[in-house]
Amino acid sequence: MIFQAPILALLLVSALSGATLLWAAGFGVRVLRQWDLESGSRAQLELERRTHLVSTLLAFVMAVELFALLLFVFNADRMAVMFVGAMCAVGTLNVNAWGFPALYLKIAVFFAASLWLIVDAADSRGRDYPMIRFKYGLVILIAPLVLAAGAAELAYFLGLKADVITSCCSKLFTPQKAGLAAEMSGFDEKAALMLLGGAFAALALAAALWWKSRRFAALYSIASAFLFVAGLTAIVSTVSLYVYEHPNHHCPFCLLKAEYGYYGYLLYVPLFAATAMGIAPGVLSLYEKTESLALAIPGLMRRLVAGSLALYAVFGVVVIATIATSRLVLFG
Amino acid sequence: MTSPFARQRYLIDYTLAALGRRRGKNAGLLAIYTLVVFVLASAMLFASAIRFESTAVLADAPELTVQELVMGRHGLLPADHLDKLSAIRGVATVEGRLWGYFYDRANGANYTLMVPGRDAAEYSVGPGEAIIGEGLARSRGFKEGGALLLVSQTGKLLKARIKSVLSNDSALVSSDLALISEVDYRRFFELPDGVYTDAAVSIRNPREIAKIVEKATLALPSARFVTRSDIARTYESLFDWREGLLVALAAAAILAFAIFAAEKASGLSAEEAREIGILKAIGWDTTDIIAMKLWEGGLVSLGAFLLGTVLAYIHVFLFAAGLFEPVLKGWSVLYPDFALAPRIDALQLATLFVLTVIPYTAATLVPIWRTAVTDPDEVMR
Amino acid sequence: MTTTPAGAGGMIELKDVTKLYNEGRPNEVRAVAGANLVVERDKVTVFKGPSGSGKTTLLSIVGCLSRPTTGRVLLDGELVSGLPERFLTEVRRSTFGFVFQRFNLVRGLTVIDNVMLPAYPLAPPHAELRERALARLDALGLAGKAEMPVEHLSGGETQRAAIARALINDPKIVIADEPTANLDTALTERFLEIVAELRAEGRTVLMTSHDPRIWQSDLVDAVVEMRDGRIVGEFA
Repeated sequence: MIFQAPILALLLVSALSGATLLWAAGFGVRVLRQWDLESGSRAQLELERRTHLVSTLLAFVMAVELFALLLFVFNADRMAVMFVGAMCAVGTLNVNAWGFPALYLKIAVFFAASLWLIVDAADSRGRDYPMIRFKYGLVILIAPLVLAAGAAELAYFLGLKADVITSCCSKLFTPQKAGLAAEMSGFDEKAALMLLGGAFAALALAAALWWKSRRFAALYSIASAFLFVAGLTAIVSTVSLYVYEHPNHHCPFCLLKAEYGYYGYLLYVPLFAATAMGIAPGVLSLYEKTESLALAIPGLMRRLVAGSLALYAVFGVVVIATIATSRLVLFG
Repeated sequence: MTSPFARQRYLIDYTLAALGRRRGKNAGLLAIYTLVVFVLASAMLFASAIRFESTAVLADAPELTVQELVMGRHGLLPADHLDKLSAIRGVATVEGRLWGYFYDRANGANYTLMVPGRDAAEYSVGPGEAIIGEGLARSRGFKEGGALLLVSQTGKLLKARIKSVLSNDSALVSSDLALISEVDYRRFFELPDGVYTDAAVSIRNPREIAKIVEKATLALPSARFVTRSDIARTYESLFDWREGLLVALAAAAILAFAIFAAEKASGLSAEEAREIGILKAIGWDTTDIIAMKLWEGGLVSLGAFLLGTVLAYIHVFLFAAGLFEPVLKGWSVLYPDFALAPRIDALQLATLFVLTVIPYTAATLVPIWRTAVTDPDEVMR
Repeated sequence: MTTTPAGAGGMIELKDVTKLYNEGRPNEVRAVAGANLVVERDKVTVFKGPSGSGKTTLLSIVGCLSRPTTGRVLLDGELVSGLPERFLTEVRRSTFGFVFQRFNLVRGLTVIDNVMLPAYPLAPPHAELRERALARLDALGLAGKAEMPVEHLSGGETQRAAIARALINDPKIVIADEPTANLDTALTERFLEIVAELRAEGRTVLMTSHDPRIWQSDLVDAVVEMRDGRIVGEFA
């Protein structure tokens, strides 16, 4: 069933990203082996110039992959009418074993690409390309991830058969079942909110510690990753109930539909963006001591921490507002 | 500290001036780009509108259609099946339907002959009366108040006064339709009493459809049951498949366009190459040039995308997609002639964007970079 | 000259600088071979020599337009030859202003737009930049032609517009490649007047020229003579 315009578009994006990363990884190997800033040779100059190309291409890949991630979910939602049992994206993604892995890999690609772009921005501020080897090592690691995401997506679309009876959010996001989705929805509402509150507290603490001593950047990043998981769990187990005003409808995708005023975007966009920024300081702190970055990194980290804190705050406010304004009352 | 926004503004200023200076070259690019967007957008808007149209029609379809199978093929449904169906709990009404196809040797077209349902009061026809679709009326020159004249393969004559001609609103499915009375229908097709083409079953609670189908299968083991969502799925994949085929064909065009764009972007005129050299020498960095060229591509893309989409919108909804009708509809010789309800959907726009702007941008990135890394001392040599 | 101790006024120092073009290919050219040089601040220095002697290449290395293949370049005691292009651009933008042999104004743009171009990547407030550009043009007698397309300027005006452009970022060092090659005597005189003004403003001026009117001028503090990529003489 790949002859559908949105599917062809998604496959096109994956093919482009895969080809770009494959090439970039090959270039990365060359950088790791031949990089020599001392040399004024043409070959070195060529390498330096090509890093501009890689930065531009990866920024492009990241923008396109972000767009594709939205398109992927949106399209999955739209295709729901084609599968018996599917009411939204969950059902469509469940038609075969590759749907959810493809989604998870796409999310991983988004975070990896955003992390790389932040590292690239930091590196370009140092006069001696201080992070160049790290950066291209990272490209070599990201390439298989992008290819795997593309492959999972292809396998998923090739495996779509309209006669499959699938199970949708009402079945998958049911506490009684096994699996990650069920684990998340099975989370007690109160516990999920407490976990989220705890994650916020941990993040605030990590931010405060980081403010006092720059050694705690890694802690902030870990707290940030934790808040991401806690945030998603809270959305699936609790916040969704308040949005749907229904005590048993745990679905992370229906939130994105027009019926609910595209409410999900208010939750997901800040959470994803904040996390993309929040996980970077820990990585940057590895190079804090590098002389050429001594001036640039603290400022960049400050902006990343401040930016992610602000976005997490938006996410927190949206969660609280949802619970406060919902007609559903879970806790008496 | 330089503000990134102010810098981008300067770059955009420069880009706009540069686009203005090379109007001829950019107009050509814009025209071809717009054409590509236009063709693709037309195909997608048209497919989406048709899909929407059929969904609207389906909304009136019965929850469940029952067909009798004879040797695995669609056969006539005996009337006693209707009673068995009515006996199932949860079934609201059961109605035997009469409809079939008729090949008209007069003009080589296929018509759908049908007896209107009991509750469709507005379409009720008495013996000797008919209501016909707009396509049929057009192809045979029938008019309201005139006579419908059809001769069956076995020589039976159907003569009926045309009570009315169906409007264009949902012409897609009604264009080749002729509604006649049950008496005329049975006589024309020499069909005995007590059999029907199929049966339409309406069900009180849609959640029970699966359960009722299960029970009905036991009661009528020889019958086939088609639910409304089954039909919707079939339609959906049929349209998607056709649309996809068009898109796949368009992919070839897009590829050609991408190659053209890459060629255009790398084949800098001497004038332009000199300009980039000057900018680099007087203090523009590689990233400044890349950003400036990306703005250039972005502005051209935006222009082509908007222009192409608007033109496609006009083509599809104001001119009924003259270019694509035969490909995408074409399930009868009688092409419906009707205006599609204007409709744009975000998924289609996003897809269109991915299929046009992204290949263009991807194709121009490497040439842009190559331009941007011109040696800054080039102008001094 | 070369006897000046580093850091005590030696603004630009070149150490064993070599520049190869088309490195490793059959058409390899050694444009500069083992040049050692100190350029002093607040002076007017002229590189002279026949065409192909490497003076323009040397000037482009001094001006951070290109990197030496081997050897080191120090600007105010700081090593710039090993800098990535991006930082080299930053240094170039903040330190140097260039007047090219063919002036290299961007055709199709107005005079004032051309003058403002080098400041675009720095993104100063637009009104301020315009004011600065107008002041420069005014000082060079071009205020009335600010909104004119550059194609409509005469030879001398074109050069003055190029000088205004070179000065827009207020550089410490102005570099001019064969500035008088296309000018008649009267315009050459006018150019030398401008050079005198630049020097009076406390700018260092570097020029290449094979025009005796230039290197014989009283304004010139030092002359560096080149032949076949080598420095063969320096005169005060």
